[in-house]
Amino acid sequence: MTKRAIIIDDERLARSELKKLLQDHPEIEVIAEAANANEGIEKIGNMAPDLIFLDIQMPGKTGFDLLTELDRLPQVIFTTAYDEYALKAFEVNALDYLLKPVEPRRLADALHKLEYIEEKEALGTSLSPQTVNRGILGENDQVFVKDGERCWFVKLNEIRLFESVGNYAKVFFSTHKPLILKSLNALEERLDEKVFFRANRKHIVNLRMIERVEPYFNGGLLLEIKGGEKIEVSRRQAVKFKEMMSL
Amino acid sequence: MLSKISRYWCCQICGWGMFALINIFFAYTYDKTISEKLIIRLLIALSLGIPITHILRNVIIKRNWLVLPIEKIVPRLFICIIIASFIYSLSLLTFFELFNLSETDPKKKVAFINKLVLRTFDSSLILMVWVLIYYVYHFFQKNKKQEVDTFRLQSLVKELELKTIKSHINPHFIFNSLNSIRALVDENPQRARRAITELSNILRSSMQTEKMETVPLEQELNIVRDYLALEQMRFEERLKVQFNIDEDTLCQPIPPMMLQTLAENAIKHGISKQVNGGVVTIISDFVDGHHEIIIRNSGFLNGRAGHMGFGLQSTQDRLNLLFGTKATFEIKDIPGNMVEAKVIMPVNNR
Repeated sequence: MTKRAIIIDDERLARSELKKLLQDHPEIEVIAEAANANEGIEKIGNMAPDLIFLDIQMPGKTGFDLLTELDRLPQVIFTTAYDEYALKAFEVNALDYLLKPVEPRRLADALHKLEYIEEKEALGTSLSPQTVNRGILGENDQVFVKDGERCWFVKLNEIRLFESVGNYAKVFFSTHKPLILKSLNALEERLDEKVFFRANRKHIVNLRMIERVEPYFNGGLLLEIKGGEKIEVSRRQAVKFKEMMSL
Repeated sequence: MLSKISRYWCCQICGWGMFALINIFFAYTYDKTISEKLIIRLLIALSLGIPITHILRNVIIKRNWLVLPIEKIVPRLFICIIIASFIYSLSLLTFFELFNLSETDPKKKVAFINKLVLRTFDSSLILMVWVLIYYVYHFFQKNKKQEVDTFRLQSLVKELELKTIKSHINPHFIFNSLNSIRALVDENPQRARRAITELSNILRSSMQTEKMETVPLEQELNIVRDYLALEQMRFEERLKVQFNIDEDTLCQPIPPMMLQTLAENAIKHGISKQVNGGVVTIISDFVDGHHEIIIRNSGFLNGRAGHMGFGLQSTQDRLNLLFGTKATFEIKDIPGNMVEAKVIMPVNNR
């Protein structure tokens, strides 16, 4: 199966060099190029590529900024002239990164790794085609989160809680709680309601992460989540919750 | 500061306490008794001695006598000690007379003036010992501090050297250039060959110029032309370059890699941040009897005016080192979305 890829880099020569290197990999089809972040965001939105090659330093917005604006993340391979140490400062757990000038063997390795991960995920879950079409994020889908200098790719099934903070949402996963610029309502629309439950006005909870359920005032419920957070479920939502959980 | 003060007072009290003990010891061995009179006399001596030596110390500190060369200190201190011991003895003896505490046998009448001279001589010896201890202590303190300072300075120099070497050629730039060159090998072999020459020129001159104090502007301009040509290869139509050089300024001396640092700065913070790119202009001219170099680029300072990055700070430092206050460096936003860095240096008429 060929993968459709977009190359995003502000230097034409860098893009053409990468394209030339990719000629040795017929499984990758370069469907478009973008010379800056905004152009990249637009093309990703229109063409929904499987993979992007992304430069980090670009005029206007950086590659990281681009990722934070995407709703659905394709697979990402960073290309940069930064050294590895400089990259580590960002703490990005990216799929892979290639240092420019790109060594052909490193490119082959990165593409291999991509295939391997894909196979593993295909075995683990069966995504129903409808969810893909409706634009709803599956459990294995990733979101890109940037908090100041630090960045993460987070799988949805690692997230236990979203909390609304003004126009932002606080994302709880492992020991981190960064903010993303998305409203809770917008998130709710894109999340799978079988997994993510709107407990109240301020919280969306990952149902797989609930440790305990206790009755609460006024016919509400109190959910204890794996990280230790306690979330109140409003009365109206408690009815829905019980409905969902009962056989 | 507090520990320093208390250490001084510690020495003061110990020293004078020692003085009292020695006195008591001798009195005991000679007279086999310790009279009440002796204790009172010693108490008066201490309560006069401590303030007088304290005043002496203040004089030494205020007049900065600790740093004077020895041939200048000795006469000054000598006079000071004589005056201090005279005052000390005079007041001491006055007290003794008033309260009838005189140590000599009352039957053997000795003239007051004789006693005063004797006492002055006596106490000047004590004060000399005091001053000696004071100076020896400070001598060792100063040595220790100097050692620490030298060490600190050495490490600072090392650090600066390392930083400047690093700042001269940005590895990011080298790798980006190499990447572009690789793409050009197929696309435009002629340009690729030229780019390799330009890159090696930059690398070579950055290694050579590190040892020199100044280089002629012409030599530096050659590097900058090569550098900007390489950046133009990368940025293509996004980078435009203009040179406006008065030929008479070509032999003027400038700090090596200064222009290069400023040009890199203009690209890194100016052009590379603009989606549509921009212009870099380099001007060298004589203005009002000074040699003036201006580097302009599209972009904004973005609050960077307040705190300079390492590149700008080192430019400032190197100009100061070479020309002192005769050279100035400033960077500011100018109308038309441009940033202007201006270096003014004295003209060399050699």
